Amino acid sequence: MLEIKNLHARVEDKEILRGIDLSVKAGETHAIMGPNGSGKSTLASVIAGKSGYEVTSGSVELNGLDLLEMEPAERAAAGVFLAFQYPVEIPGVTNTYFLRAALNNIRRSRGEHELSMSDFMKHIKSKVLLMDMENSLLSRSVNEGFSGGEKKRNEIFQMAVLEPSLAVLDETDSGLDIDALKVVANGVNALRSPDRAIVVVTHYQRLLNYIVPDYVHILMDGRIVKSGGKELAFELEEKGYGFVEEELASKA
Amino acid sequence: MIDLKSTPHSLIENFSLMKGLLSTYGPDSFQVLREQAFRSFSEFGLPTTKDEEFKYLSLKALEDGRFAPAYGATIDRYQVEQTAVGQVDAITVTFVNGEYAPELSSAHLLPKGVFIGSIRDGLAAHEGSIVRHLGEIATLKGKLGTTNDERFVYLNTAYLTDGAFVYLPKGVSLELPVHILYLTSADHGPLVSFPRTLIVLEENSDAKVLETYLGIEGVYFTNAVTEVFLGESAILEHTRFQDEQIESVHIGVNAVHQGADSIYTSNNVTFGARIARNDVNVWLDGEHTETWLNGASVGFGHQAIDNHTRIDHAKPNCNSFEVYKTILGDHALGVFNGKIFVYEDAQKTDAKQTNKAILLSPTATINTKPQLEIFADDVKCTHGATIGQLREESLFYLQSRGIPKPEAQGLLVYAFAAEVLEKITIPTVRDILEKALFEKLKESQKLPDQDGE
Ligand SMILES: Nc1ncnc2c1ncn2[C@@H]1O[C@H](COP(=O)(O)OP(=O)(O)O)[C@@H](O)[C@H]1O
Ligand SMILES: [Mg+2]
Repeated sequence: MLEIKNLHARVEDKEILRGIDLSVKAGETHAIMGPNGSGKSTLASVIAGKSGYEVTSGSVELNGLDLLEMEPAERAAAGVFLAFQYPVEIPGVTNTYFLRAALNNIRRSRGEHELSMSDFMKHIKSKVLLMDMENSLLSRSVNEGFSGGEKKRNEIFQMAVLEPSLAVLDETDSGLDIDALKVVANGVNALRSPDRAIVVVTHYQRLLNYIVPDYVHILMDGRIVKSGGKELAFELEEKGYGFVEEELASKA
Repeated sequence: MIDLKSTPHSLIENFSLMKGLLSTYGPDSFQVLREQAFRSFSEFGLPTTKDEEFKYLSLKALEDGRFAPAYGATIDRYQVEQTAVGQVDAITVTFVNGEYAPELSSAHLLPKGVFIGSIRDGLAAHEGSIVRHLGEIATLKGKLGTTNDERFVYLNTAYLTDGAFVYLPKGVSLELPVHILYLTSADHGPLVSFPRTLIVLEENSDAKVLETYLGIEGVYFTNAVTEVFLGESAILEHTRFQDEQIESVHIGVNAVHQGADSIYTSNNVTFGARIARNDVNVWLDGEHTETWLNGASVGFGHQAIDNHTRIDHAKPNCNSFEVYKTILGDHALGVFNGKIFVYEDAQKTDAKQTNKAILLSPTATINTKPQLEIFADDVKCTHGATIGQLREESLFYLQSRGIPKPEAQGLLVYAFAAEVLEKITIPTVRDILEKALFEKLKESQKLPDQDGE
């Protein structure tokens, strides 16, 4: 599904990603953990196509398509979804209008017919239910006046509506209380399927109790320095990132 | 030799033709107002770009145009229903080319003592109130400012004939909104009309008014004056929607007098004309008032849209909040001038002014001037102006959800102005204006379909 090879990326003249290799197969869930500033959001942004990052070498492919050659909207149409660490407020655009424009664009570029208003409403109302939200949210402006937790929940709601094949969740757990965390995890788990993949970016293990990963990768200083199964997340939680650093130092 | 100066333009010439007819309308005091106003207007003439208050707005079109006095035109109910505001559920008072059109107005059972109709009909029961307020609210006499310019109030008053009158006695709350609709159809050549509106809300009364200026066809000049009187604790939400024919000129003055504890909200939505100028002047004449001035203007082609606002904080403890937004494309010109006067007495004034513009093309321009003149020492006054492009983060957010860049830009441009429309609390009016905004932007902005919402 997702193949990242030797990815190097910089912002202005600062190299942030320094050779990332990551292979995520359909049906898998991967967690990327790492301390603040290690480059997690940068990786997520490069996958989604945010401007301002210069890829100096390497490749990112989704089902054989070269993502780096595509506009952000084309990536979304190809099945990429990024749940933002800091979702943006868009006063003046209602959630309904926004999601309808998004979904219809994605469907159109896939050669599918647009949903009628009533089919669309049925579709999003079932997702409102899934995410335990209020219907009134639909007529509110995108993220406007939402609390941090509400914004995160809204990201997963959007994901549920758009049904991407690759979801990258950037620190979706931060700012959530335990109940909200369960709802969010539930929304993510509902999307899991043999033909989809999920990448969970976080620096705490907590979310991984609810979204159980198949693989865990540790990102430090722009590189994946260690990979393992879900037990790696527990080890990290217990010993902190220090243990990885020590391990690396002893190898060197 | 021909002295160009001595060749009067049509706005002056018309007066001698109209004088006799005008004098048959209204009480004697109207005749006095007209004569005085005409003298003042003739003395100063039309403003030019040498005049501070019209620095960026060329009015040559008024100087050169031959505008005949307006006379009625026939517009039927179906045509009105087809307009952007045709479906508003309200107590409607309609004027066509400045003339009251009862057949396009709606009769409603009104609470006791309420009057909503034409000034002419209102005189029967409310002459006292009309004479007391008309002309008194719009004047800048005795107010601060070294460049005060009342010429378009004079001009309107010189030709004072009919207009809309809304009167709410003490303590009355209107359930339905009021819609004052001025339609212009210049199907027999250029004309000029002088709509005049007077809204009087006595103590503790409460209303929502939509005032619309719509062009049906032709080239014309609309010179409108609206006066609003709010008694103590009165509340008015006043939405003004202006969408004239593209070759026309619209110059409107909206003057407001706020009594103590009153709340006034102005939502000023301007899609313009060839030249559109709005003045909103608010005089705070009592303590603890609240004033909200919201503006959204959109112009394309060679449109010029000029918004001037002034708030006179003449008494202590009053709050005012102002947000004006402008979207300009092609070769459009925008002007924003926001004056806030804080008088010596007006301690504890809290005034906040923001104006923002988005320029969609390198040939669109905006001139922005916040003008705060503060003569009290214990006040909080802020202003901020931004002229900008769309925010990168917002754009990327929309794109990342599958919305292609041009469409995402359009959506954000729409949202920029729609945020102002969200202040309108009459749902049907808000919906209708959002739709009108959408239509206005749709072509240039590649907006995705909105049907069924
Ligand atoms: N737009 C940017 N401009 C400058 N520096 C940036 C930008 N984005 C990220 N960085 C820097 O890159 C590094 C990695 O940031 P980020 O990817 O956000 O890390 P993480 O998400 O792991 O906390 C940090 O040192 C950060 O300061
Ligand atoms: Mg981050």
